[in-house]
Amino acid sequence: MSQQTSYPEGSALKGQITSRQRRGSAWQLAFQVSTIIGIIALIALLYNITNQAFGLVAIQNKVEPSSLVLALEEERLLSAENTVTSEDDNELVAGIASDANAIGFFGYAYYQQNSDQLKLLTVDGIAPTAESVQNETYGLVRPLYLYTTADVLAQNQAANIFLNYYLTHINEEIEDVGYFATSDAQLSEARAAWTAASGLNLQPGQWAAINPEGITGQLSVVGSSTLFPVNERIAERLAADGFAATVNLANVGSTAGLRAFCEEGTADIAAASRPITSAEFEACRENDLRPIEIQIGTDALAIVTSPENSFTTNVTQQELRTLFDTATTWADANEAWPNNPVARYIPGADSGTLDFFAETVFPKDLANLSKETLVELLTANISVGLGRRLEREQRFYDDRLVFDDPDLFAEACASDNPAAGCTMPARDQENVYELLLQEVVAPDVVSAWSLMDSLFARDEVEAFVATEYPNAELTFRSWLTLDFITSPQSSTPEFAGVRTAIMGSLWVVAITVFFSFPIGVGAAIYLEEYASDTFINRTIQTNINNLAGVPSIIYGMLGLAIFVRTLEPLTSGALFGVGDGTTANGRTILSAGLTLGLLILPVIIIAAQEAIRAVPHSLRQAGMALGATKWQTIWAHVLPSALPGILTGTILAISRAIGETAPLVVVGASTLIFVDPNSPFSKFTTLPIQIYQWTARPQAEFRNIAAAAILVLLVLLLSLNASAILLRNRYARRA
Amino acid sequence: MTSTVTGFANGNLAVEARNMHVYYGPFRAVKDVSLKIKTHAITAFIGPSGCGKSTVLRSFNRMNDLVATARVEGEILYHGNNIYSNDVDPVEIRRRIGMVFQKPNPFPKTIYENVAWGARINSYKGDMDELVESSLRQAALWNEVKDKLQESGYSLSGGQQQRLCIARTIAVKPDIILMDEPTSALDPVATLRIEELIQELKKNYTIIIVTHNMQQAARASDFTAFYNMDEDRAGYLVEYSGTNELFTNPKNELTEQYITGRFG
Repeated sequence: MSQQTSYPEGSALKGQITSRQRRGSAWQLAFQVSTIIGIIALIALLYNITNQAFGLVAIQNKVEPSSLVLALEEERLLSAENTVTSEDDNELVAGIASDANAIGFFGYAYYQQNSDQLKLLTVDGIAPTAESVQNETYGLVRPLYLYTTADVLAQNQAANIFLNYYLTHINEEIEDVGYFATSDAQLSEARAAWTAASGLNLQPGQWAAINPEGITGQLSVVGSSTLFPVNERIAERLAADGFAATVNLANVGSTAGLRAFCEEGTADIAAASRPITSAEFEACRENDLRPIEIQIGTDALAIVTSPENSFTTNVTQQELRTLFDTATTWADANEAWPNNPVARYIPGADSGTLDFFAETVFPKDLANLSKETLVELLTANISVGLGRRLEREQRFYDDRLVFDDPDLFAEACASDNPAAGCTMPARDQENVYELLLQEVVAPDVVSAWSLMDSLFARDEVEAFVATEYPNAELTFRSWLTLDFITSPQSSTPEFAGVRTAIMGSLWVVAITVFFSFPIGVGAAIYLEEYASDTFINRTIQTNINNLAGVPSIIYGMLGLAIFVRTLEPLTSGALFGVGDGTTANGRTILSAGLTLGLLILPVIIIAAQEAIRAVPHSLRQAGMALGATKWQTIWAHVLPSALPGILTGTILAISRAIGETAPLVVVGASTLIFVDPNSPFSKFTTLPIQIYQWTARPQAEFRNIAAAAILVLLVLLLSLNASAILLRNRYARRA
Repeated sequence: MTSTVTGFANGNLAVEARNMHVYYGPFRAVKDVSLKIKTHAITAFIGPSGCGKSTVLRSFNRMNDLVATARVEGEILYHGNNIYSNDVDPVEIRRRIGMVFQKPNPFPKTIYENVAWGARINSYKGDMDELVESSLRQAALWNEVKDKLQESGYSLSGGQQQRLCIARTIAVKPDIILMDEPTSALDPVATLRIEELIQELKKNYTIIIVTHNMQQAARASDFTAFYNMDEDRAGYLVEYSGTNELFTNPKNELTEQYITGRFG
């Protein structure tokens, strides 16, 4: 009955068989290549995100915590009982010399000039000597600096040669003035900085002193009174060596000197008895100046008493702190000392020596300060308006108000919508500390690097930070932290978090699932098990298939028209008398969830139909043959068997819903809200929208947190999928 | 049609088909079948493929309703009631006339649940454990599964699965059990066990069995109905009589040709 097929023989047969095999291999290769391309694309994506989400950052404080504490300490020192304060150091010397119970402090140079009237105490058993200062075994020291820039050295020959001469001869002069020479290592570092800046082609370690004779022009050295006598000596010596340029020396103090150097541009070289602050450095940067820091010596603090003091020659740092803090008598600091009242002699508030003393003797950490002190610092550094706002969020003290007017506060609390501060317990120390960090210290990420740069180009990054942001702290930062996940949205990237967005996403997805899963599965059951094959049912089926392919933005328009506008009383919650109808309008979680529900409904219906169709017919027959109704059979046997397939389709649909942005933008997701959603009638934002919004911000740090948020989104997505898959496997195993 | 099965009292009449035609859409699959089934007896339906014997069997408990295009004409009388009359609930009919299928089809549930589910949805009020045990005992499966009642029905072998399906049918306490080639998917040993079981069940139930296997019909049944299809491919009843008689002394030439293996 059938025709004999004639197959070719010999080489023709071989040709046919091998070409088939070759075609097979070619297809296999094509599939493998496309799989590999897919994996590479995925890896590139993850690499990109990870690269952004982790890496080195340079953090710079707006105000250094140490300077905050310093002001506080000085005020306390000056206002302590039994304290003599004077701007005139001679007065202090005379006072101390004549009072056996006196204690005071001077710069070491000043002490040397008056060493016959004063008695020097050792600190922790160590006297200030060249050696103990240089290796810092003597605790109370401060470095002395000159600041200039490479541009000044390149353009102003007089300044260039002045600094060369300064570095050549400084150690011959500085000890005569009463300070301590800087170490050879530090000096050669300073010389290397000068060499690099002035453009001399010298070998490392080599030092060429230039003959100053016949150089003309002018330069100005402005700043510290501490360094003034040193500068004077160098200038005189230069002039004696034939330097013909005019050297303008100004004795105005470190702060004024750096201001003249950075902001006014009137100084070629700034002299300072303390390191430059970040604020000053920023001022320099704004004027395109990159200060070079050169340490030319070290000053030490001399702790002195009257020569008539017979009971001690030493004081420990702890005793020193007590003597200038809580002690009223000497015995309070050390029981071996007499029970005589302490007479404290300290220089006035404008003196750099007081800063020096407060800084070295009372180094305090902000975090350890009492709540009262922290509130005081906050009061001194923030505006009353901000303080009032913070106080209404949460009070500082239960029994009194710091910023707010009691009457206004009471009025605000009596209103229909009382502030949180009216009922919440007062802030604790930790809370106030956080507030101080955020509002006053305000650490700011001034620059951030990618993970790859951080790992493989760390040296360059460090060098960059050292020149551009010397006061900044370089730390490795994971932008993805627990804080990031638990913090609400913020307009500063350092404090911004995704809690609000995560909650929004979860709420929206929950509504989406509760809406579309039952309806979708119900529709699938109807279409598969009950619907007869009529024209209407065929039309419905075709429409569902088409709807699964409609662009999501169209669903957004639909949601806007139906849920946000037409059903506003329902979706805003006004119908139920809940929700904030005035602000959210219909742009609520409910509207978003229903819109996304519509979006994934066709997908769920189609997946559920496929799964129900795949249940063997014999199972339905078995159920029906036992006298079960159709619904009993479907519910007990068909649905459980179809559930794994239904869940697979639902998981895919939900994943899509979590990642959707466009329809939610149309429906009216908020881009910047700080309040967690707490009902279906809340305003909301979701993770993808948050990411979208952050990537559109100009500040670079927002891209880092956007990358971190993408990781959160991926993890959220994967864990939701994983739990759904676990659920599915449970059902699949039971079958 | 040649039928010699008329000689039992009406009290022994389990179910009766009268001039029954079954259509699938425009196609007539079964033509003018009339026969009476005796209670507490095993009636076998034999015939070549496509002769409509399964369709006739399924008509007895309205399983054909599950096929959207199927339509039955004529009457099937169950205790004097036409089960195809408009006011009859097929669900109630299927409870009384149970069915075992060609391929074992246990539910994807535990052995216990397989047996208990049918009784539960029919609002059985008694002791469920007892019912499960007695049903499994009647199906000669109890000794094999009594220690693994909570395991999946799929963990059993094919023959055990088929006995489980029988047990699940028994648990609903039907009058009549329809069996559609219950052993065709089983090996000879399992087949023999099912045949023995059917003999046991005869005491309590009326059994109608469709089989492809003439030896099985000859061995295991009391009555045999032979179907064939006509030139329009519609099945019709050729001969219906006591099994012994049909196999030893067939009245119809076609029957003789079929049982001697000359066609089919």
